[in-house]
Amino acid sequence: MKAIQEFTKGIIKENPVFVMALGLCPTLAVSTSVQNAIGMGAAATFVLLCSNIFISLIKNFIPSKVRIPCYILVIASFVTIVDMVMEAYVPPLHKSLGIFIPLIVVNCIILGRAEAFASKNGVFRSMLDGLGMGLGFMLAIIIIASIREILGVGTILDIRILPASYKPMIVAILPPGAFITIGLLMGLLNIFQNKKKSKA
Amino acid sequence: MKDFIRPALVLLVICLISGAILAFIYQQTAPLIAENKLKAEEAARILVLPDAEFFKPVSDSSEVLYYEGYNADSTLVGYIFSCVQYGYSSDVKTIVGLTPELMINAITVVSQAETPGLGANCTREDFTAQFTGKNPDNIYVDKDGGDIQSLTGATITTRAVTNAIRETFQKLRDRL
Amino acid sequence: MDFSTLFLIIIGSIFINNFVIHRFLGLCPYIGVSKNMDSAFGMGMAVIFVMTMASTITWLIYTFFLNKATSIFGLDLTFLRTIAFILSIAVLVQFVEMVIKKAAPELYKALGIYLPLITTNCAVLGVSILNINSFFKIDGTPVSASFIKSIIQGASAGVGFTLVLVLMAGIRERLEYSKVPKSMKGMPISFIIAGCMALAFLGFSGMKF
Repeated sequence: MKAIQEFTKGIIKENPVFVMALGLCPTLAVSTSVQNAIGMGAAATFVLLCSNIFISLIKNFIPSKVRIPCYILVIASFVTIVDMVMEAYVPPLHKSLGIFIPLIVVNCIILGRAEAFASKNGVFRSMLDGLGMGLGFMLAIIIIASIREILGVGTILDIRILPASYKPMIVAILPPGAFITIGLLMGLLNIFQNKKKSKA
Repeated sequence: MKDFIRPALVLLVICLISGAILAFIYQQTAPLIAENKLKAEEAARILVLPDAEFFKPVSDSSEVLYYEGYNADSTLVGYIFSCVQYGYSSDVKTIVGLTPELMINAITVVSQAETPGLGANCTREDFTAQFTGKNPDNIYVDKDGGDIQSLTGATITTRAVTNAIRETFQKLRDRL
Repeated sequence: MDFSTLFLIIIGSIFINNFVIHRFLGLCPYIGVSKNMDSAFGMGMAVIFVMTMASTITWLIYTFFLNKATSIFGLDLTFLRTIAFILSIAVLVQFVEMVIKKAAPELYKALGIYLPLITTNCAVLGVSILNINSFFKIDGTPVSASFIKSIIQGASAGVGFTLVLVLMAGIRERLEYSKVPKSMKGMPISFIIAGCMALAFLGFSGMKF
């Protein structure tokens, strides 16, 4: 695969959330506002990038038997770094993301990419893969968050989009709204995929 | 034996390296984090009693009951106390600033986890502003016969804020 | 011992703040394993066990090694929390896997890859961290009976997880006989069902004792 495709595959074709159904917990939980979505996406992309690069660098030194604990150690270290840095420099974002910052360590996307890609490929490609998957993840959360925030509050990033007379659909920012939004979006995606398949 | 030593050694090395890096970053960020916490507390106090320059805590045997606020000339400009009551789905913690005449100067909700879009709006200015100038001894939600307008669809949260202020004030009134 | 507090923790973790459809923890197995009742029930039992054991072990590690106020070292090592917790959970799951393989090989086969995946189940790490946040005060001292409360919260969270997992499996088994639009088959309709369940469980919020 050409190098640039390593990057773009994570964004659409193999989007970790909509196509591979990974990383669902943080996606639904932080998509109550676009600001949280961007914050979580950035944090997860950072961890994914660093862990992919690091694991790709040391892949020849890790004995196969203990590779999962090693990956977990590396990922958990980067997650702890992100946690501390966020608490020091962006405390309000750290508070809104709450428990989901340390939960980045069990985000299936990061462990999955470490196991499936970084442990078998060079540093440059692993970097592109990590960046692409991370951005795809962030894009997915932002899409869901935009829908939920517009319907549930009427704003995006605190910029009022819908007129003030709009009575917000509160359920959109409550848990049911998250599930229904992602269900409908996945269904929509399937419609496009099926149309493409029937054309081909 | 050999194929047990190598994996254990690798794990140990990674543990030590990561431990060292994390300890370093912790030392760098810990003072900032502590500072942020202090700043947040201060910010809440300054919000409800803007004229105060410094605060003196008044405690009984174990805990701080309230703070007296003084300006630069050491004149008393008011009091600050915090109160908490369980609302709809969480404890709602409010900080209240009082004038020297024991009327509410301003309030601010510092922590809550109520329903977003409904009870969570108790942190908004257009809700908390209505408490300014009221007598904390006699505030009740409109549904209970008072004049505090409750949030749309969030009477319970409104009640938690209002009743917490009134009840805590009544407890502290003799000491103020 | 204040039984009403414990009761509140139990009801709270199972119904009011259900870990899956209110806190969004444990979604991957919820959507992935809930295709039939037997494997859902087996998975649920495994998760209850892991969550209870994990709550116990992580509480002990936090109290005696990491938390400055109570640790035997007297150092503030709370920043090692994430690493220590996830590693102990990984070891615990490995251990559980070995035990199930010996004691119940049919269950082991039925769960397949989903058993080691309990390590990455957000609910397990989530409840461990939640126990610390709920039952330790800001200065690090534990509230009264925080050990018992943590274990109970861990177990109840697992029960809540099992409850919605089994409910979902039951619905999905029935769904096999319904006419689902082609593009909604599989994951989309499962999410819509989860949304309806979340809507129903919203009715529990605001319950007071």
